[in-house]
Amino acid sequence: MSSNNVPETFSIPVGPLHVALEEPMYFKIDVQGETVTHVDINAGHVHRGIEYLTTKRTMYQNVVLTERICSLCSNSHPQTFAMAAEQIAGIEVPERGIYLRVVADELKRVASHLFNTALLVHLTGYETYFMHMMQVREICQDTIESIFGNRQDIGAMCIGGVRYDLDEKSIAYILSQLDRIEPEVHDIIKTYKSNGSILRRTKGVGVLTHADAIATGVVGPVARASGVDYDVRREAPYAAYDRLPLVVHGATDGDVWSRAMVRLQETLTSIDLLRVCLRDLPGGAVNINDRPDIPPGQAIARCEAPRGEVLYYLRTNDTPQPERVKWRVPTFMNWDAVCFMMQGAKVADIAIIVNSIDPCLSCTER
Amino acid sequence: MSNQLAILLAVLLFPGGVFALVLGLALKGVDRRVAARLQSRIGPPLAQPFFDVIKLGFKRTTVPEVASQNVFLYAPLVGVISVLLAVALVPITGVYTPAPAIGNLLVLLYLLMIPGIVLMIAGSASGSPYGAIGFSREMALMIAYEGPLVLIAAAVAIRTGVGMGGWVTFSLSDIIAYQREHGSFLFDPVMWPAVAAFCCFYPANLGIVPFDIPEAETEVLEGPLLEYSGPVLALFKVMSALKKVVVLSLGIAMFLPFAPDNWALGLIVWLIKLVVLMVIGVTALRVAIGRMRIDQAFTFFLKWPLLLAVASLAVVVVV
Repeated sequence: MSSNNVPETFSIPVGPLHVALEEPMYFKIDVQGETVTHVDINAGHVHRGIEYLTTKRTMYQNVVLTERICSLCSNSHPQTFAMAAEQIAGIEVPERGIYLRVVADELKRVASHLFNTALLVHLTGYETYFMHMMQVREICQDTIESIFGNRQDIGAMCIGGVRYDLDEKSIAYILSQLDRIEPEVHDIIKTYKSNGSILRRTKGVGVLTHADAIATGVVGPVARASGVDYDVRREAPYAAYDRLPLVVHGATDGDVWSRAMVRLQETLTSIDLLRVCLRDLPGGAVNINDRPDIPPGQAIARCEAPRGEVLYYLRTNDTPQPERVKWRVPTFMNWDAVCFMMQGAKVADIAIIVNSIDPCLSCTER
Repeated sequence: MSNQLAILLAVLLFPGGVFALVLGLALKGVDRRVAARLQSRIGPPLAQPFFDVIKLGFKRTTVPEVASQNVFLYAPLVGVISVLLAVALVPITGVYTPAPAIGNLLVLLYLLMIPGIVLMIAGSASGSPYGAIGFSREMALMIAYEGPLVLIAAAVAIRTGVGMGGWVTFSLSDIIAYQREHGSFLFDPVMWPAVAAFCCFYPANLGIVPFDIPEAETEVLEGPLLEYSGPVLALFKVMSALKKVVVLSLGIAMFLPFAPDNWALGLIVWLIKLVVLMVIGVTALRVAIGRMRIDQAFTFFLKWPLLLAVASLAVVVVV
């Protein structure tokens, strides 16, 4: 307290390097005691000029480049890019390729959601459960590594289909791994609903109301947890999602806990989708086995990454290189909502709230 | 003269000083190892805390430009000295009895407060905003837990004092002597509220989850310790290791002092009690739950431990 009885505010820097943030972003936070009064977000620490680089590479090289934008959504980027290119060239992806795209996508989604919800308990100081959840995620990562040969950049997508195929043995292997993950996820959900340590740090923290959610235009689990019932997989089905029993989960509270719950329930849905996909997997080729020239044109494609809607704009010309590639990632949309969530939050909640939008800075700043 | 020499030896050699330092760091090693196993990790070698302190000793200390240099550098020294004195105050049944001049529960309570105050001063002297947050959190936490601690000590003192035919006695040797004759307070139903309150107090005093709020790594990056490096940081590590020995042995002295009369056996029994208490009370606790927010911790302390401590005092006075 200063002499004239006005509580002093002081600003603390959170980032650009901070143990609680997985990626470099910088928040300048004004606090009064333990309460946050103002948030200033500053970005740009991992700008690598990838949008520029895409215009220097051929369409087929760009599938590889877009995969390297970010490691957690490393399947969504090339997939959306390929979808845009296929739209321009009028390429029809074979049925088997369509289903295998869903398999790759959903496996990455399970891993991504489990990673984010695990980080949440880590940030609440509950290290033991963090270790446990990371072990559950490790089952999924093991599966990804066995099938694709890599843990993060799986290189599954190509223009005109996918670059991998599943035989009977690997299908049986994925199914057995899913049987191991599913009960664990059920257990995790039960813990999230009942454990005092988790509940008292996440319930009612970082609330984003329905009105604010619409005003800030949030997407993905952040939107769904605030009662915005929107999922690209249902609104504009791509790949095989129109033939799959997709359940879109939502919540109305809009707090950190709801966002985590939406993610965990989506993990279960992803497991269901994977099972159906693997059961109904049609035969035939996995891609068009050709590299046709992409004619001049422009297209927009979008898909539901683990963090929300990814949107690609692609314009091509006579050259093998695209003329312009522009993408809008979910974190870009969810980012501003952090300011709303932080209103009246405590210093202790900052990291938890930031983590709850599952920020992906590499995508946003590319 | 010999009395002063004995005190000096107690502070520097046994049970304080070298002995307590080795013991504290070894306890820390056991704690980290057991915690790792409980979290299905392998964990560091048992001697890791020794390596850490030695390595820090050879490193350079950087003082932030905005820090007030003297306070920044000497605060941890004050902390270490105070806990060194505190270790020498706590009796080990059948092994060590502090000189009557210093073996007083009240003196011990004062000395136990100093590490917390040192942490606060260090945090604010570092000039870092995280240190400032650590300062305010440590202060709030101390206000919350010191009250119950005083009441617990009073309950023990009155129980002993009345039992010995007087009113209160704060002499730790008397407290132990009384319990050896009449059974440990841990098995005395009248003292159970005090035991429960003590169980809430020490995690906060030792700064472990769920009450590691002032130093919360994922929130304020170790708060007051953020700007520290080199030998000065090593002093903080030494301070917290010694504090663990003091607080745990205080718990043993107040509630569980039974021991055989033999010197060697007594020491072994005391060590076993110390390790068991630490594994149950520190390691198991910190792996079992997550961190509280400072307001939640404050409310918690004003509710349960304070209530229990007041209840224990009331029960002791009435019975």
